[in-house]
Amino acid sequence: MYKKIITSFLLLFSATLLQAQSKFTVSGTVKQQSSGETLIGVSVVVVEKPGVGVITNEYGFYSLSLPKGNYTLRVTYVGYKQELIPVKLDANVTLSIDLLDQGSMQEVVVGAKKTNDNVTRATMGTEVLNMKTAAKIPVVFGEKDLVKTIQLMPGVKSNGEGSNGFSVRGGATDQNLILLDEAPVYNASHLLGIFSTFNSDAIKDATIIKGNSPAQFGGRLSSVLDVKMKEGNNKDYHVSGGIGLISSRVTVEGPIQKERSSFIISGRRTYADLFARLNSDFKDVQLYFYDLNVKANLAINNENKIYFSGYFGQDVLGVSKTFGSKWGNSTATLRWNSVLSSKLFSNTSFIYSNYDFNVRFKSDGSETKFNSHIRDFNVKQDFSLYLNAKNTVRFGFNLIHHTITPTKAEGTDIVSNKKSRKGSENAVYVSNSWKAGDRFNIDYGLRFSLYNVLGEDTYNVYQDNQLIQSIKLGEGKVGKTYINWEPRLSMSYRVSNTASVKLGYARNTQNLHLMSNSTGGSPTDQWIGNSYNIKPEIADQVSLGFSKNFNGNSYELNTEVYYKTMQRQIDYRDGADINTVPDIESELLFGKGRAYGWEILLKKKKGKLTGWVGYTLSKTERQINGINNGQWYNAKQDRTHDLSIVGIYELTPRWTLSGTFIYTTGNAVTFPTGKYVLNGVVIYQYGSRNADRMPATHRLDVSLTYEKPAKRKFQSSWNFGLYNVYGRQNPYSMTFKENKDNPQKIDAVQTALFQWVPGVTYNFKF
Amino acid sequence: MKNSSNILFVAIALLLFTSCEKKVTLTYKGNQSRIIIEGNVINQPGPYFVKITKSVSLTATETYPTIDDAVVTISDNAGNNETLTPLGNGMYRTDLLNGVEGRTYTLAVKTEGNTYTAQSTMPQQVAFDSIKVEKLTITGEVEYNLIPVYKDPIAKGNNYRFVLSVNDKLINQHFIQNDEVKNGLVNTFRLEINDDDVELKPGDVVDIKMQCIDNSVALFYRALALMADSGPGGGTTPNNPPNNISNGALGVFSAHTVATKRVTIP
Repeated sequence: MYKKIITSFLLLFSATLLQAQSKFTVSGTVKQQSSGETLIGVSVVVVEKPGVGVITNEYGFYSLSLPKGNYTLRVTYVGYKQELIPVKLDANVTLSIDLLDQGSMQEVVVGAKKTNDNVTRATMGTEVLNMKTAAKIPVVFGEKDLVKTIQLMPGVKSNGEGSNGFSVRGGATDQNLILLDEAPVYNASHLLGIFSTFNSDAIKDATIIKGNSPAQFGGRLSSVLDVKMKEGNNKDYHVSGGIGLISSRVTVEGPIQKERSSFIISGRRTYADLFARLNSDFKDVQLYFYDLNVKANLAINNENKIYFSGYFGQDVLGVSKTFGSKWGNSTATLRWNSVLSSKLFSNTSFIYSNYDFNVRFKSDGSETKFNSHIRDFNVKQDFSLYLNAKNTVRFGFNLIHHTITPTKAEGTDIVSNKKSRKGSENAVYVSNSWKAGDRFNIDYGLRFSLYNVLGEDTYNVYQDNQLIQSIKLGEGKVGKTYINWEPRLSMSYRVSNTASVKLGYARNTQNLHLMSNSTGGSPTDQWIGNSYNIKPEIADQVSLGFSKNFNGNSYELNTEVYYKTMQRQIDYRDGADINTVPDIESELLFGKGRAYGWEILLKKKKGKLTGWVGYTLSKTERQINGINNGQWYNAKQDRTHDLSIVGIYELTPRWTLSGTFIYTTGNAVTFPTGKYVLNGVVIYQYGSRNADRMPATHRLDVSLTYEKPAKRKFQSSWNFGLYNVYGRQNPYSMTFKENKDNPQKIDAVQTALFQWVPGVTYNFKF
Repeated sequence: MKNSSNILFVAIALLLFTSCEKKVTLTYKGNQSRIIIEGNVINQPGPYFVKITKSVSLTATETYPTIDDAVVTISDNAGNNETLTPLGNGMYRTDLLNGVEGRTYTLAVKTEGNTYTAQSTMPQQVAFDSIKVEKLTITGEVEYNLIPVYKDPIAKGNNYRFVLSVNDKLINQHFIQNDEVKNGLVNTFRLEINDDDVELKPGDVVDIKMQCIDNSVALFYRALALMADSGPGGGTTPNNPPNNISNGALGVFSAHTVATKRVTIP
């Protein structure tokens, strides 16, 4: 089976390479003129050769190979003025391009045809988050939030207020690969999901790929959220920031070598507990989080550049000495870009990532601490080969060494015997973006992934939850190896100048799994790697899509249907306490999942009113041996309808009003069906799992932004927001209690987190 | 970690000053009435009781139906075997059986054409020393921790269940402790009380019954305790807890030691 995949892949590959031999190359970097920031995903097309063009890679690099001649390059990117640049190609040419910001949201029409990017490219299930648009969308507490904005896209569902994480196309919370400058981020939220760990001031670009990512991505079944930090302004020094009711942030950026290298430092902290502590009752409460993003780059010469990025973030919660909890991520990435030739671009990365969770509490003079943590060392090598005008090849490898410590108890008189587990996760990939014909684009690729279960630890092997073998692995010894091939395919066929049909297939595997005891997510959830019992999860997704642009590209319609099967899904036996059980693997149950749905996104991109409507109709189910009598049941993240409406209205050039409306069906949950008395107390009886629904969630948020007139270099704006305008109590949890006056009657009591939450933020930049 | 998770949740909710609770009306799926068997053998002189009832739908207001014509037997691994006397109201009573630490008891119930069996082994008693009351001030409010004081034996695998009554009212919460994290030491962990419906005040009379239980009974009550966790993220997905009675009967058969202590909140 695999031989067939590899052979067909090689045949396809060589067939595409035999097309058009080209002569000379024009290559370079596309940047924002005002800051020197490189721009990702900029479209560079050749006017004289319709259909010939590339997009800039993650470092703003592009390369086009054409026969000798005179050409005009049309360079377009949302939020920037289009550029038309003449090129005389009689030798290899290096041409770096600067784009100017657009003044307002209204697009200025220059030249003839508009590029219809969403129509021509083969990419499917992908949304690029425009940071300029995200800045205007209202979110809780007036904080721009990248993750909350992504959740307004169809196919991406929030796990609910006060819950950690999000779910993409029916996948679980741990099935999203979240990368910050290539480093994996394990817990992407602060304060249990109220804020995300991304400080929008430091972010340049964010893309969400819903399951059919190109072969250079792998390791999670459902999505990739690829977040790129800004490089920092390499022309001038700037300080910007914002002061809000709950938190504040500041960013400092500037050049290291003028116009060649730069740095950016961005920090954010909440201080809600400082206000709370004004009340002497709360003087012992600690409740805050902070984020620090640091980045610097250095140009060695015209072809080589080094980048360093770092992120440190932590949540601290404590109540006097009796209870304290701390959790956080830290990541560090060192990258070396090299333009090896006009056609070959190389990126080498060394990455460190660490996620830690600690809880301590004191009872009767004794202290108990729980700790769990995951640490990665990662080496990545990636090549972009702009082979010819019709083929852009990506290939490379990725090696990760994981150290994972499951929840370990420590403290007064506690003997801890839990050890760290080690594993190595490796991949090799190759992919090609092929302009197969005038109307036909095919992106195809293959990823080979290999996971080694390593010592030094004892691994127990279970069958039907009974211990059958105990294997002791020495330090560095390989206990078990798992191999998987992951084909990726995405094709688009242009039916007209403004419309296309797309088809995609992808296989993804996942070697790290998040164990969660609770129905929502919580920081106590712990990661575990493959073992003798836990095999890599596998997902196969097929999708079919249609894209059309209307009215001279002022409206964009994207719609997709998908079907996904998941294998080797994990759940637990009833009564398993993942924090205290000696070996979590003894409690695991395995099975499969399936998810399918229809997504539709309609964007209005021009005019005073812009925004989008996104709707998803979907289902996601699981079938696990040992749960629900082995019958299929709704996964808890199954929500039939998910509607998001976002509107941004430019009242005047200084005043912008924006609003968001969301409506989602409630989560699938298990309500009691009956009751009985046992040993004097009422106990509830349950039937099928997750056959009930929480009440629906719907909410309207509005925000008003006023840009003050700029005084010399000083720009500022005020943002006023109201979260949950009509104050609906959206359900967070449901508990069942005997009625105090009539114990025979059972009351359902719903807890909601937020009603009306106002926010005021003052933003500045100089 | 229930109470600590509660603190986390309460702190965040307090911080935001806006969280709220309200009663809602829901529709429930149909219920399948199941047989409920409750049996206890303790280390004090008999008689011991088995109660057999049936479950009703969640919204039902009539009394629970009882089964009074079952044949109920309890035997032990010391050669004793007794058929219990039906008393009506779903109750069945032993007359001769003795509850002895270390013995394994087997319950058999024959009714409506079905047979249900269960087995439970009474552990050795671990002495219940006292109840320690710890007073804390958290966010301006006075709270009390109840810590059952007992010395866990060196051998691993001890499970304890605590039954709490406040002012003679039985509290519908489940408390389980074991020696997974701390073994062979005097206990310092408090009972993880959900203060939604229990607010201790000075003068309250607290009764705690300590039971030394076997693994199957511990699993049953631990599953119930995990489901009830209302901290961030919520508890585990609710389900009928795994029990030691065969053939689909709900309920639990427990052979356990008992000791009761009382304390008044100062």
